[in-house]
Amino acid sequence: MPDLFKLVLEIAVILAVCRGVGSIFRKIGQPRVVGEMFAGILLGPSLLGWMAPGISAYLFPAGSLGFLNALSQIGVVVFMFLVGLGINPKELKKHGHAAVLTSHVSITAPFVLAAFLSLYLYPKLSDDSVAFTSFALFMGAAMSITAFPVLARILAERDLLGSRLGTVAIACAAVDDVTGWCILAYIVVLIRSAHNPTPIWVTVGGIVAFALVMIYGVRRMLHRYVTIYRERGQLSENLMALMLLLVLASALCTEWLGIHLLFGSFLMGAIMPKEQKFVRYILDRFETVTVTLLLPLFFAFTGLRTNIGLVKGQEMWIYCGLIILVATVGKLGGSMLASWLSGMPVREAAGLGTLMNTRGLMELVILNIGLDIKVISPALFSMMVLMALFTTFMTTPVLEMICPDRLLREGPARVPEQELAVRIPATPCADRISA
Amino acid sequence: MSNANRNFIIAYILLVALPIVGLLGVLKNGRTLTAPISVDGMWQLQADPTRLASLPCGKTLGQNPETALAISQSGRNFTLSLANGPKSTASGVLDGTTLKASLVPAAAWSEETGCGASRELTLVATVDIKTDPRSLTGMLSVSDCPSCGSVEFHAVRLAPAAKKGLR
Repeated sequence: MPDLFKLVLEIAVILAVCRGVGSIFRKIGQPRVVGEMFAGILLGPSLLGWMAPGISAYLFPAGSLGFLNALSQIGVVVFMFLVGLGINPKELKKHGHAAVLTSHVSITAPFVLAAFLSLYLYPKLSDDSVAFTSFALFMGAAMSITAFPVLARILAERDLLGSRLGTVAIACAAVDDVTGWCILAYIVVLIRSAHNPTPIWVTVGGIVAFALVMIYGVRRMLHRYVTIYRERGQLSENLMALMLLLVLASALCTEWLGIHLLFGSFLMGAIMPKEQKFVRYILDRFETVTVTLLLPLFFAFTGLRTNIGLVKGQEMWIYCGLIILVATVGKLGGSMLASWLSGMPVREAAGLGTLMNTRGLMELVILNIGLDIKVISPALFSMMVLMALFTTFMTTPVLEMICPDRLLREGPARVPEQELAVRIPATPCADRISA
Repeated sequence: MSNANRNFIIAYILLVALPIVGLLGVLKNGRTLTAPISVDGMWQLQADPTRLASLPCGKTLGQNPETALAISQSGRNFTLSLANGPKSTASGVLDGTTLKASLVPAAAWSEETGCGASRELTLVATVDIKTDPRSLTGMLSVSDCPSCGSVEFHAVRLAPAAKKGLR
């Protein structure tokens, strides 16, 4: 049984620190979530455990971490449902080939660069119990993810959701996340199958069958929710409870099939009806408790697993710097190049690249899975957490520098109907560079 | 085929398809790489309790015959702690199949007779990778104490790590 006093004290401390640091970050123009991620690190061995080991051991004894993890995982399950709910595949179709190219390049560029970096890092930061293929694929998936919710929040705060930059960014981030999670599911299946007597094709077949049932069966049934919402303007408590039960059942199915709880909750969110008012209604019901109570626990749990002390010595900091560099060049550079080739002015393309480079919370979710299945080592986990913090933190100031609000609100970028078309320049276009 | 479609196909091949081919090449080449041997996990420590008790700082260890070493590995580096012994953490380096670690006893442990605050327990061991589960054989000694001698120990990994994923 958990020591209830300790557990409640832990939660209270985590909430207080996360809210406090989040508010400070808001004041310096950062999204609150970046501050909360940072607060998690502060509560872990990297700061509190290092400066005041006695207090750290009292507040977060090893025995209590299991309960904290369980609570935080429930939060992440609901959060992933909300992320899936916010994703609308139809957004991508609005921008045609250009958005398809940009989104796919924004995955392949960081993915391939991460695989190349893995050739260098694998002998240094991994061990022979991890296969190179799993290591490289995981690094690729982790570097190609985009924090869809953080990105949406940054765009909303800057009133850019309706702009061309905003809609293309949202569409590309949605594709990135779905692709990233599919790749991660594959890696988890590969790794778990090594411990599981069930043949891999049975697992893969089960997952495909489950996904088909969800997409072609359950999805149709879920439309009843929209019909009832339209009729009554709200959903009863029973219907909301049923929705939660469906999320949990889907999560349990994917866990049972050998992937992870989070894939099921994400898929349930992704197949929910996408009517704007309905989505907003569901988000309003779930977001408050998830974002203010449960996610800070996840940040703290991640922070407790992050030990920046493991990144010691010049050599380790060089690895960390390389990870940040490759992640940024791959994601920012790849997205920028593809969107520029698609006809976006260079400044706007750079803005899109910067937005796509936001990894935030989604990265932490993926990294925790990687550490759980031991495909990454604790030191590499800490380096990747630093990369996630760095790339998320840099988004707002770099975006403001490259694409100040006044420029983004000017004419062409505010016209969503303006069709982007892929153009292959024979020589670098001076007009685009000067744009 | 319209110009827009043609350009899209060219750009897609150059920026998406070719890199994927490159990725396949990287994955193929990477299979030849070798990473440090895995020592991550829990290891059941077996040592003569009488000899262990005669070692400064070793008495506390000798009192618990079920002492387990918890190793958390990151490439060649690892941290080591006593899972059910006195609270203490050590860091070490793996060189081939040889493990070297220095363990600074925590304050409460240092109060043990003969275990000074500045003393370190040094662990040097060789991993036998042919056994399943892997085992360790090595020596525990105390720094700054040439007369103290050393104690031989053997450890067996409790949860052998299976290959994670495909080669």
